Amino acid sequence: MGRSRSDLVVFVAKRLVQLIPVLIGVIVITFFFTHIAVANPCVAWAGPKASPSAITACEHLYGLDKPLPVQFVNYLKGLVSGDWGYDPLYQVPVLTAIEQYFPATLELVLASIFLMVVVGIPLGVVAAASNGRIADHLVRIFYLSGWATPTYIAGAVLAIGVGSTLGISGGAFSTLSSPVRTLTHMSVVDALLAGNLSATGDALAHLILPATALAFINMGIATRMTRSSMLETLPLDFVKTARMKGLGEFVVLYKHALRNALITTTTVLGITAGTMVSGTVVVESIFRWPGMGLYAFSAITDYDFNGTIGVVIFFAIVVVVANLVADVLYGVLDPRVEWR
Amino acid sequence: MAEDLLRIEHLSVDYHVGAGTFRALTDVSLSMPAGRVVGIVGETGCGKSTLGHAIPRLLPQPPAQVRSGKVFFQGTDLLKLPKWRMPSVRGTGIGMIFQEPINSLNPAFRVGDQIAEAVQIRRLREHGRQPARKADVQGFDYSKREMPKAADVVTGPFVPPNLTETLKQRPPPISKDLQKEVLDFLHLVRINDPERIISLFPHELSGGMRQRIMIAMALSGKPSLLIADEPTSALDVTIQAQVLTLMKELMDEVSTSILFISHDLGVIAEMADDVGVMYAGHMVEFGPVAEIFESPRHPYTKSLIRSIPNKYKEDGVLPSLSGSVPNLSRLPNGCTFHPRCPMVRDVCRKDPEPPLTDLPPGPAGLVHRSACYFPEEVASLP
Repeated sequence: MGRSRSDLVVFVAKRLVQLIPVLIGVIVITFFFTHIAVANPCVAWAGPKASPSAITACEHLYGLDKPLPVQFVNYLKGLVSGDWGYDPLYQVPVLTAIEQYFPATLELVLASIFLMVVVGIPLGVVAAASNGRIADHLVRIFYLSGWATPTYIAGAVLAIGVGSTLGISGGAFSTLSSPVRTLTHMSVVDALLAGNLSATGDALAHLILPATALAFINMGIATRMTRSSMLETLPLDFVKTARMKGLGEFVVLYKHALRNALITTTTVLGITAGTMVSGTVVVESIFRWPGMGLYAFSAITDYDFNGTIGVVIFFAIVVVVANLVADVLYGVLDPRVEWR
Repeated sequence: MAEDLLRIEHLSVDYHVGAGTFRALTDVSLSMPAGRVVGIVGETGCGKSTLGHAIPRLLPQPPAQVRSGKVFFQGTDLLKLPKWRMPSVRGTGIGMIFQEPINSLNPAFRVGDQIAEAVQIRRLREHGRQPARKADVQGFDYSKREMPKAADVVTGPFVPPNLTETLKQRPPPISKDLQKEVLDFLHLVRINDPERIISLFPHELSGGMRQRIMIAMALSGKPSLLIADEPTSALDVTIQAQVLTLMKELMDEVSTSILFISHDLGVIAEMADDVGVMYAGHMVEFGPVAEIFESPRHPYTKSLIRSIPNKYKEDGVLPSLSGSVPNLSRLPNGCTFHPRCPMVRDVCRKDPEPPLTDLPPGPAGLVHRSACYFPEEVASLP
């Protein structure tokens, strides 16, 4: 084992293989949970005043009249062949829905990560550099309030308090003043691709509140982790060496110390991927952001089994891949790490 | 009289830890003319490293606090400089080698890049692109054995970089040329195959190699003063000898002034021109290395020298100094050494503590100072 490119490929491949049992577990648990918890979704699907024969027809159509193990085997067959089933209300295939909704969520999550990195980490550095002084205390108020605020409260406060005051709201596409052609399903990227600057600004204005709401709790974690790992790094001799080269304090902090402090911060941020995914459900519902979270929410409330399982599988993959990315970043940041 | 390169006047440093205040340095004075190698010796916890770190203001504040004193480097009191100007003194003015090469190199960067960074800073200053002290801008040729003249060493006023001027100037040549200079410095510290070494990370090198890299890095700033804080204490004995030999050779080649801190009297005897002996945060004796070893004028120095292992000694027992260094938060009254002193008298137990005073000049006419009331009687001690 070493640090060559082929070692990295083997490392990533191994981790992806480990994903398989995780996915099997996720599928089994969600499938039986959904099918046992809700006795007969056709009562809901067929409409409020459906006749018993319509309900029976519905059951037959979706194979719900067969024994549960048979249903499970049928579902697995579909899963492997790329047919993840479809939404009984709107007849949209699950994979198509994910394809459409995922980019919007990706945009939201990337914006949140951007905020975490650009605001959370430097604040941690500032706090560590002024350890015990006024700036440190101010930053501590910030990150503790971040940590103590659940995403749904942050979302509600931002949507009702800030959003309505400033006259900006969430909702990526529907509320854009000048709609642009959707290519990537990411509002900011689409507006930029169309070369429409006012639409880009509009899209950004719609993005900023949900992104902040989603980032808020993780921003607190990022700040706090950066602060504590910087406090561990700053007394080390190589920081003195950097100072004794004649480097300015900014380079000493942000190049020499932060580069090493980030090694621990990265791992922790990988763990926050789960928080972030569950946060999207809340934030997208509050801001009517047309992404995976909103889809997950409507799939669950509509008793859309296929949609629910599809979303859970997808979220599981996202969380595992996010942690894999964090592990790879960890290795990239720390030259002492060997891929294994 | 020529200006001293480094002159420390009555420096006192405290550490505030928990409830107690530790007097790490008490009233330490030292002057160091350009081109000399001054050794600082003493037991663990006597304040040698604090002294070394206090000069370029590396002490973390808090817990450390400079209670009083002045540190003149090239005529400027460093303790009075605003904090943001300290980087202009470091690197090209004062370089430093630390005790543990395992910790003193940044684990995340290749060693070549770390040295290149130091070279680059010096070049920027030589080209006037970064604020630096006047003497450093002129630089001096490391192939010649000349020090910058003390008269050139007066600090110029700080001139903020003129932006339009700066933009007009061409950037100093970098990349290939920079790499060549990095390789030159690695050759200077006798590293074979430096082309391979520059692309390695610190953890891929042995302790001795890392310390050589560290020395190369410190020298690549071409500092007027090099502070070596126990540069060999963390190394194996054989590697220690190699690094000491290297440093000894470099002293002849590079002729920079060195403040050499060590707990090892043998190392100090080998390396230094002058020695300062420290005890419990006090400078108890200072003088030329030969005089200190032949006729110490402080009972502490005497007992330190007595306890050097000597294979020619017939009687088996190695004399040792009884007792231990006093707790720095509760220093004894009067002379700090009196509880362990074999020739203690009543006057030693009372405040004030004996000051470091000049002794009558010896045959060589060099300054010799002792902080003992009875320096003449030390010779009669066993």
